[in-house]
Order: sequence, then structure tokens, then C-alpha cells
Amino acid sequence: MAPAPELLPYAKIREDLFRPLSGAGSSYWLTMLAALAVVLAGAYAWSYQLRFGMGVTGLQRPVFWGFYIVDFVFWIGISHAGTLISAILRLTEAAWRKPITRAAEAITVFALMIGGLFPIIHLGRAWYFYWLIPYPNDRLIWPNFRSPLVWDLTAIITYITGSVIYLYLPLIPDMAQLAEHNTPWRRKLYRILSLGWTGSDREWHALERAMKLMAGIILAVAVSVHTVVAWDFAMTIAPGWHSTIFGPYFVAGAIFSGIAALIIVMALIRKVLKLELYLTDHHFNNLSKLLLMMSLLWLYFTMAEHLTVWYGNEPEEMTVFNAKTRSAYAPLFWGMVGLNFVVPFVLLGIRRLRTIQTAAFSSVCVLIGMWLERYLIAVPTLTNPRLTSATSSYFPSWVEITITAATFAGMVMLYLIFAKIFPIIAVWEFKPHVAEEE
Amino acid sequence: MYLIGEFRETRAAAAAIQKLRAGGIGPGDLDLFSEEPVALPRGLLDRPSHMSLVSVLGAIALGSLATLFVRYAQNDYKLVTGGMPIFSFWATGVITYEMTMLGAIVATFIWFLWESGLVRKRDQRAPVPRVAPGSMCLRVRCAADWADRANEIMKGSGAVHIERRADA
Repeated sequence: MAPAPELLPYAKIREDLFRPLSGAGSSYWLTMLAALAVVLAGAYAWSYQLRFGMGVTGLQRPVFWGFYIVDFVFWIGISHAGTLISAILRLTEAAWRKPITRAAEAITVFALMIGGLFPIIHLGRAWYFYWLIPYPNDRLIWPNFRSPLVWDLTAIITYITGSVIYLYLPLIPDMAQLAEHNTPWRRKLYRILSLGWTGSDREWHALERAMKLMAGIILAVAVSVHTVVAWDFAMTIAPGWHSTIFGPYFVAGAIFSGIAALIIVMALIRKVLKLELYLTDHHFNNLSKLLLMMSLLWLYFTMAEHLTVWYGNEPEEMTVFNAKTRSAYAPLFWGMVGLNFVVPFVLLGIRRLRTIQTAAFSSVCVLIGMWLERYLIAVPTLTNPRLTSATSSYFPSWVEITITAATFAGMVMLYLIFAKIFPIIAVWEFKPHVAEEE
Repeated sequence: MYLIGEFRETRAAAAAIQKLRAGGIGPGDLDLFSEEPVALPRGLLDRPSHMSLVSVLGAIALGSLATLFVRYAQNDYKLVTGGMPIFSFWATGVITYEMTMLGAIVATFIWFLWESGLVRKRDQRAPVPRVAPGSMCLRVRCAADWADRANEIMKGSGAVHIERRADA
């Protein structure tokens, strides 16, 4: 049986965790090139949309929210992987969190960067994005702070600021160590970013205090961010949206998809960066249990939301309900239930089947299922508005599909770059001493 | 005069700190360097902090400023509302909340930089030891006539290597 990573000699821990920073194999560059190609295709699609206008998308009256808003909600949900999970595990002092936290925090920052792009892409005239910011202006536009879209703006700014700081703080000691061990450009970069960290007890005290405070604050922010995203929908008196449980429903869904994203990323870096000693069955087992618990919570919220609608039997609500469960969107809806509940319940609920591979597979299913969930929240309501004569349909165009694919590739690319510049596991958090090792 | 003692065990470093402090060396003259945080017994080398207070003050400041800004920005337009209020605390609640949190985050970060000494001017005379992986170094600042005693204390407590450095 492999020893717990904390019990490995410190020199080996350093060597193992700093090794992925130097050199890159052909598989790394091939993945990077493939991701870059998709990102460039997405950039072309966006430039095409900027040139010819929003008419090149599948959006049309009354469906003004399509793939872009679905992607926005999805990526903001993924961002809950890191900060929230990392903060919970840090506050509860769960020892098994150590190899997980940084990978999770990085997901948060990148997912927020990607998610934050979508409202701008969705604007059409993206260069006027600053018009969204409500400030006293000479354009005679009254700044409306009551709009949930403005709430989004403030929530995301707060969340991304907090997440970047939360990722950066525990990186400082590792960068200080790296400042002595690497190539000239890296030395320079790490020296600047480590701010002259010496490792004195004053610095450690300040860091630990700051991390504890930040963990508490970021938890409150993370919950509020997805609640605000939910309110984008729930504050509208539209069938299927105007629901009081949308806030917690979205937060639970976000944590659910965030854990799934974290498991996938961990399984990949474990394999690609050869970190089998540090990301062990134990970590995947614990995360799988968390995923399973969130799957059950998700099912509970989905049931609560849909059962209440069905019992109320209001015509407008039932039109959307029927579209989702019995007609046009039924395959997507039941597929979502299968992917989000049946697969994880079977593969992770039965202990014998719970392995790293099944955890990764279940997580992929959950991500697809959660993307479908966001789609099923946004689109059926808009295609079935209160005014029945305005009923419509929505099919995404190649522009929307390409941009969506590009964001997934963008995530892969950003993560690959990050894993080559910064240690993906916090070395200092293992805290071994020579005497303790002996 | 500075003495730097290298320790391999937390217990030994803690014993040295305890004896040095009993001998009259203040916590401001002691610094423990390591590549990871070292958990010392409470009261041994505590570093008082105002980070929580600063965080709360930052939160209150930015939250209040944001609310005032919203109020000002909305009332700056001469809209005819028939006497209905244009500003609502309820509708502004989310912005107040987010900006309160942002205030706490930024204040915590700035105070971390200040309290850790990372952005403050450092005492250039104080030597910074190179810490070997897995060990820790205790830096003691003392008068020259105290150096032999500090040396004995550290050696007696289990320091594996002691170095003396005069003020630069």
C-alpha cells in the first residue's frame, strides 16, 4: 500500500511536485495545439458575430437567451469547484484537502474568466460593454441598480477578485521556493510574485490568518454569486423561472458541477503529471462521496421544483412543464436526470464500483447533465412564453456552438499553462520535518 | 548582533524560544524561518494581529460607500416619479452586500501584505537565513554581551548548527 503523501520524505515531495514545471512532453504540446485550434475557431466565430451582428446566432424573438446564457450559468457554476470546496475543506481542517485545494482554486479563477466573457459576447456590440456599468453619465441613461444583470456584474467582480487573491496567497511560499531553482525567466517571475517572502513566522502567521479569513468571506461570496445568477431568472415573472427555491437550487447545482469538474481535472493531472502518490484513491473516494451527496441534493431540489409546478397545475407553468417532461425537451430532461442522478447513484453509490475511473466517468456525465439542466431552465421558458401566439423554437447556430466549444478548449489551455508555471499541489501544506519523517 | 540557530525539530525550537524569552529576549527580537508553518505552543511566539478588525472596517467602508454611490447616482437624474422614492435599500441590497464583501477581501489582502512585512521596508542589517528543506532557523537579535548565553541556550535546546552574524 502506498504511504500517505504527508509521510513521504520532504525532498521527494518537493521534487515530485516541482518536476511537472520543467519540460513538456509531446502529448502536452499536442493537447495544447488542439485546444488552441478550437480556441482560435471560437475567436473567429466571435469575430464573425461582431462583423455581421447577432443575426448569425439562433437567437430570435422571443428566445433572446440561448447558448450564451446557458454557458454563462454553467461556467459560473463550475467556478464553485474551487473556492467553495477549498474553503469548506480549509475551514473544517480536513487533512485530505491538501493536494486538492490549489487545483480547485485554479478551476474557479479560469471558470470565472470564461463565464464572465459570455454576457459580453451576448451583448452583440461587445465594445459598448461599459454601458452596463451604472454610473452617472452624460448619455441620459438612468443607472438602474435594480437590474439583476447589474447585480451579476458586482457579484462576479467581487468573486473573481476574491478567487484570484485566494489562489495567490498560498502560492506565495511555493513561488519563494521556486525562485531559487529554475530558469532565469522563471526566477524573475517567481521573485516578483513571491514579494520577497522569507518564510519567517510573522509571514506564516499573517498568511494563515488571511487564508482563514478569506475562506470565510469567499464562502459567503460564492453562495451569493450563484444566488444572484439564479435571480437573473427568478426575478422575472416567467413560467418556470419565478421560483423562490431558485437561489439554493442553483447554488446546489453549482457545487455539484464544481465537484464534478474538480474530479475530472484531478484525474487528468494525476495521470498526465504522474502524481499518483499525491492524488490517491482516498481523495477520489472522498470526492466521490461528496458528488453522490450533491447528486441526491440536486434530485431533491429538482423534484421539489417540478412537483410544486405540477401540483399547482397553472396553465402557463404546465405548458413549460409539459414541454420539458413530455414533448420537445423530454429526451433532454430525462437524459439530464439519468446523467445527474442515475449514473452517479449506481457507480458511486455501490462501493465496489467506486473507483477513480468511475468517479471520472460519473463526473463527465454530471457535467453534461448540468449543462443540459441550465439549457432546460433557460430555453423552454422562452420558447413557451405566457403569450401562446408567441411560441417559438430555438436552435443554436454554428457560431454559438463553436464559441461554446472554444470555452471548453480555453479551460483546458489555461489549465495546461497554469500547471506548467505553478505547482498544481501546494508543497508547503504538507508540513513534514526531518525528525517527524524519521 | 544576530545569531541563527538551525533546528530539525519543532520541540527543540520551541524550547529554545521559551528559554530565550525567559532570559529576557523579547518576541520582536526572535524570528523563526521555515519552509512551512510551524505550530508553536500558544503564548510562545504570538504575533498580535488586527487583520479581522481591518477586514470588518474595510467591509463597512466599501459597503457604505457603494450604497451612497447608488443613492447619489440614482437621484442625480431629475426623473418625475410622482413622489415615489427612486432609491430602495431592498433593491440595492445585493450591491451593498457584494461591495461589503469586496471591501473585506481587499482590506484583508492589503493588511496581509502589511502585517507580513512583505511590502514594508525591511531592516537591511537583519540576515535572512537559507532554510534547508525540512528544518527551521531561529534568528535571535541580541546585544553582543548576550550572544554567548543565547548560543548556549540554542545549543542546549538542540540546535544542530549555530551561526553568528554581526550587524551589517
